[in-house]
Amino acid sequence: MSAVVSESSGKRGGACQDFEINIASIIDAFTVLIAFMLVSASYLSIGILDAGVAAAGIASNGNTPPSVNVTLEIVKGEKLVLKVTGKANNTINIEPKSGAADYVALTDHMKGLKSKWQDMNAVTLLADETVEYKQVVKTMEVLRQSMPVVLLGGF
Amino acid sequence: MKKSFLGNRTHLSDEMSLQITSMADIFIIILVFLLKSYSTGAMNLAPAKGMTLPSAKTDDLSVEALKVEISETAVQIEGQPIVDLQAFRFDGRDLQSNGSSIKLMKAIDIHRQRQLLIAKANSAVKVDPKIIILADQKAPYTTVKTVLASAALNGYTDFKLAVVKGE
Repeated sequence: MSAVVSESSGKRGGACQDFEINIASIIDAFTVLIAFMLVSASYLSIGILDAGVAAAGIASNGNTPPSVNVTLEIVKGEKLVLKVTGKANNTINIEPKSGAADYVALTDHMKGLKSKWQDMNAVTLLADETVEYKQVVKTMEVLRQSMPVVLLGGF
Repeated sequence: MKKSFLGNRTHLSDEMSLQITSMADIFIIILVFLLKSYSTGAMNLAPAKGMTLPSAKTDDLSVEALKVEISETAVQIEGQPIVDLQAFRFDGRDLQSNGSSIKLMKAIDIHRQRQLLIAKANSAVKVDPKIIILADQKAPYTTVKTVLASAALNGYTDFKLAVVKGE
């Protein structure tokens, strides 16, 4: 980073006009700043899953309640139980597939229900006491693909 | 006369300056990148040490609300430990018949009352039902349920579950 001054000033004639800006101190400041930011920065990208409480009431488009209420229960041992109440009453047991919950079957059932009952817009999620939070979140994530509102229940 | 060690190279300046301009350029780029990726929101949602949040596909984080953390040893509100847990479990004496925790109810109520006072004094501020839950992925649902019940009974019914954004 250099500059040349074209004319000499005052009595100091003939002095070298080619000078360099000393950026060593700027580099020092940058090094400290970068080190601080690298140490304090969090590299976890955190997002938010929306979950209302079932007791607060299901959000609906109009004043009329939906034709059916759907409840999904996560039972210990990766089993899922889908209960439909209202104009239709039905219980669907979704058995685990190769040791894990069968989310493909769950999505298929949810899509079937959604196409049959168009005004259905929410599902209440329940879980056994010992079920891990990780599984609850995973199930919520799957449900949200077919249902806009997922409410947590059981309390 | 002594012969020059460098042979034909006749003269070298004694003053040597290191060219650090390119280094400054690199540092500026790194700094800009870091500043851009730095979280600028008022909410600091970094989970406590040793806590692993579950991962899920979600929207961006853009809420500011009361923050409750559930780790293996404690439940914290805004970073303050409120209830001690034993391997993610509440002490039985702390639990009420409605599924809530006595200590947690008290702590959440303080925050709620503060919010109500502010809303009363300033009509532009509305009482917010939002609450952010940061829970360890191994926490049993019964513990999460107790926290949610305690929050819901104090008017916090819009739960926002913090997760690590997945693919």
